[in-house]
Amino acid sequence: MSARVRIDPTRCRGHAICALFYPEGIELDRWGYGRVVDPTPGESRNLKRVLRAVAACPNDAVVLVVDEGHDAAAAPSGP
Amino acid sequence: MTSPSSLVDSTPSSPLNSDVGGLGDRGTWLLSGPQMSEGMETIANHIARLGALPSWSRSELRAIVRESGLQGRGGGRFPLAQKIDTAFLAPGEPIMVVNASESEPASRKDLILCGYRPHLVLDGAAATAAMVGAREVIVHLHRGSPFVRDALVSAVAERKTAGLDDPEWRISVGPDRYVAGEASAIASFLNGGEARPHFSGTPMARKGPSGRPTLINNAETMAHLAFLLRFGAALWRSGGTRTSPGSQLLTLCGEVGVPGQVFELVGQATIGDVLLHAGVTAPPAAVLVGGYGGTWLEGNMAWQVPFERTALGCVGAQPGCGLVGVLPHGACGLGETARIVRYMAGESAGQCGPCVSGLPLIARACDDLGEGKLRRRGLRRLQSLCGLVSGSGACSHPDGVVRLVQTMLDVFEDDVVRHLAGRPCRASNHPPVFSVPIPVSDVLDQVWR
Repeated sequence: MSARVRIDPTRCRGHAICALFYPEGIELDRWGYGRVVDPTPGESRNLKRVLRAVAACPNDAVVLVVDEGHDAAAAPSGP
Repeated sequence: MTSPSSLVDSTPSSPLNSDVGGLGDRGTWLLSGPQMSEGMETIANHIARLGALPSWSRSELRAIVRESGLQGRGGGRFPLAQKIDTAFLAPGEPIMVVNASESEPASRKDLILCGYRPHLVLDGAAATAAMVGAREVIVHLHRGSPFVRDALVSAVAERKTAGLDDPEWRISVGPDRYVAGEASAIASFLNGGEARPHFSGTPMARKGPSGRPTLINNAETMAHLAFLLRFGAALWRSGGTRTSPGSQLLTLCGEVGVPGQVFELVGQATIGDVLLHAGVTAPPAAVLVGGYGGTWLEGNMAWQVPFERTALGCVGAQPGCGLVGVLPHGACGLGETARIVRYMAGESAGQCGPCVSGLPLIARACDDLGEGKLRRRGLRRLQSLCGLVSGSGACSHPDGVVRLVQTMLDVFEDDVVRHLAGRPCRASNHPPVFSVPIPVSDVLDQVWR
């Protein structure tokens, strides 16, 4: 069981603050929307930065989810 | 490999010219039964023809589903057994939903199933509800399908009169938008929210937006379940291949004898076999596989490829919703793609940044390419936009658009070169091949309830 950083793309408005706090794991696209490149913060030093990024997002788009293993999470859903 | 269609007809009650047939030498399974001209099959006829659903215990049912390897037919092909187990083990009574909204504009398989064989769909849904312990089943469809709604309403009434051991049925009607048929959009709509996809770190089968496990299954998936519970997992599996067991429903569109024709493929067939059956006698210029957010395949190559998950995967395609679109020689793949992409861009839910910002730019670039106004630099920009947008959303809508555009650039490479050079398109006089719905107006645009 490990924690993973995710960005809710429906909430992200491109404030880009998350990438300031956690540049190791979050990249910005050309519009400033965040994209997680390293979802597992791993060591505690990084975890602290991630938590800052989570707290700093004005839209609550950055979330830390607890990974509960592989299952229907990967289920792609068709229209 | 060809056989006479076992069900051929069009009915006045159907909103479209309906032509349904079996493909292969084993007839039809889901689509067998009375002629389509007789309309919806009644419960009496359904039971007389197929027998009542055997009354298995919950664990027996789950064992049969596991053995069958049935995969979701909405496009995702996720194993049904796994979804059911997740919902069953999660706390709370699951919300059980049948997705009959069929958002894919050219697909008609769910319309045919729900309109003419609704009891197969409802049988499967009742069995699934029993497996996960849901007392109610919600059948969800788009507002713009009164034909399907009427059939389902009368089918549900018939079942009540017949006194079947059924869950409670509820028909739910949502907005007519492409992404509104996506599973997470339906879940959020049923929870009182807008029918737009949402993002969640937890699988819906464990915990949906309401907090309860939410199990959403495509109508065709449910019909297969009704069939295999009666005739056994082993027989049902033999209708497909090891990696994609069971028969499958296909919708033909584009330049075919009867656009919108639905075939049931029992056994194996190449795309060429499918097209021969639909009246296409030689490999076309290109084939669109899987849906409007699907894959272009070069015609000669596609002709040889079995319509089967693994084989399609080898050429970069997916069966998706079972759509097979034919682009004839002499038509312009770039112009056709541009129209589809324009429609798809307009169908964004308007939530995720890259989709909102990127799809209109991609659509504009495709329009320019189709009209011969794009130059090399614009093409490079289009390619980089595709990379930016792909995989960025809460749903796979932008990914589908990117797949369509990227395979277009690949399959119609020669035309791309001609168009970039500004030379006249060889197909400029060809009428449009693929139909796209009329874009919703700006006022309606905001209606997500």
